Amino acid sequence: MRNWSPDRLNSTTQNKVIVIPCSGIGKALGTVGREATYAIVENMRKDVTQTICLALLVSGDEESVQLVQRNKCITVDGCPLRCAEKNVRIAGGDLAASLRVVDALRENRGLKPKSVTFLDRDGQQLTRAVAEQIASKVDAILGA
Amino acid sequence: MRLKGIKVGDSKLSEYLQTVFEKFELRVRKGYYYTEDGLWASVEDPKIRVGVTDYLQRTGGDVAFVELVKLGSTVQKQTEIGTLETAKTTVSLLSPISGTVEEVNGMLLEKPELVNSDPYGEGWLIILTPHSLEDDLKSLMSADDYFQLMLKRLETEHEKLESR
Amino acid sequence: MVDLPEKMVGIISCSGEACVEGTISRIATLLVLEKLRPAQTVTICLPLFLAGGKEERAFARFYPTITVDGCQKLCAKIGTERYSGKPASSIVVTDLNGNKNCSTTGSKRKLDDQAIGLAEKVAERIAQEVDEVLNHWK
Repeated sequence: MRNWSPDRLNSTTQNKVIVIPCSGIGKALGTVGREATYAIVENMRKDVTQTICLALLVSGDEESVQLVQRNKCITVDGCPLRCAEKNVRIAGGDLAASLRVVDALRENRGLKPKSVTFLDRDGQQLTRAVAEQIASKVDAILGA
Repeated sequence: MRLKGIKVGDSKLSEYLQTVFEKFELRVRKGYYYTEDGLWASVEDPKIRVGVTDYLQRTGGDVAFVELVKLGSTVQKQTEIGTLETAKTTVSLLSPISGTVEEVNGMLLEKPELVNSDPYGEGWLIILTPHSLEDDLKSLMSADDYFQLMLKRLETEHEKLESR
Repeated sequence: MVDLPEKMVGIISCSGEACVEGTISRIATLLVLEKLRPAQTVTICLPLFLAGGKEERAFARFYPTITVDGCQKLCAKIGTERYSGKPASSIVVTDLNGNKNCSTTGSKRKLDDQAIGLAEKVAERIAQEVDEVLNHWK
C-alpha cells in the first residue's frame, strides 16, 4: 500500500532546486544539515526548492533519479564521507553545489552542537548559518 | 579477553592491534610509542613523527580545525603542541617527547579530516628532532600497553551505558 | 584467539525527508540509542550503509538488525535485505499508527505533541524488539 505525503514529488518538476541532505544519523551535524534543508524547503525558499530522501535515491527509485537528473541539485553533507554528494553524482544528478556542514562550523568557530536528537542552541545557530548558505546557493542557481 | 561489545584481535600479519567497539574498528599501530592522552610517537631515526591515535580521533569526533605549533619551535615533553577542534570539543595535544619542530603537516589546514580518516598515516601532526629521546621513550607506553589501556576505557564506557 | 563480543543490535532507520513519518522514525531510533537501550544498540547510518560504508555493512552482516521505516517504500528494510540479510525485525511507523499517516499539525521538521507521542510509541516498540532479539540470541 502506498503511503505518500501530500506534497509528494512530481518527477516532471522542473525549475526547482532540489536540496538533498545526508541526514546522517548518529552525528549532530547530520541533524543540522537536515534541519537546514527543512528551513529552506518549508520556509526560506519554499516556492523554488524541494527535498527528497537520499535513501530512496540510493536505492534506485526511478522517480527520485529522474528528479535529480532534470533539476539542479544542492547536497548538504554532515560529515567528510559526503554521502549525499557522492550518491547524487552516481545517480547522474545535476549537481550545482555541494555544501558540508563542517565548513559552516569552521566559519562559526566556537559552536559545539552536542545533541543529535533535538538540536541544542549551538545546533540551532549552526542550522541558521547553513540555511543561509543554502539560500545563497539557491539564489545563485536561479539567478536571483 | 572477553569484553562486552568489544572484540579483540592480534593478527601477527597485521601492522595493528585492533578491536571492534560497537561498529567501529579501533587500531593501535605496532612499534609506535604512546601517551595516555592518545598521542603516538614513531621513531624515524634521527627524527620522531607525532600523531593521534584512532581512539582519540574517534572519541573526539570529526575534526574541523587543527592548530599546531610553529616550525622551528622548541617543545618540552607534555607541553601543548596544538589543538584539535571538533564539532563536539576541543582537544589539547601534549607532546610525547621534547624536541625541535622540523616539520608541520600543512595538509591539515585544508583537510583536517585526514586526522579522522588516516590518524597513523596522512593525518600525522609534526616531526621533531628529539632532545633526549632515550629518556623520553622510557616514560611512554608500548603499543601493547596502550592497547590494554584503550580496552579498559572502552569497557568502562560500556558499563556506563549499561547502568543508564 | 579472538572472542566475539556479546550481542548488540543494529538499528537501521530511514530518515525520509518526504514525510513526517521519516522524522518520527529517526527520532524514535535516537531515543532508543540514547535513552532506552544505550548499551545494547548501535545505529547504522542508512545512506552510508546503502552506499557501501565499510563499518555499517560489516556490523549488519554479523549482528542482528532492526529496521525502522517511515513509509511503505521500506528503504531501510529493502536495503538491509539486499546488502546484509534479512533483518531480525522490521517496524513501519504507519503500521503502529493504525495503518494511516500521522495527522500532525506541525511540519515535517517541528513535530507537534501528537507526532512526538507517536515517536515515543515507536521507540518503545523498537526497545521491545531489541529485548526479544537479544533474548533469542542468548
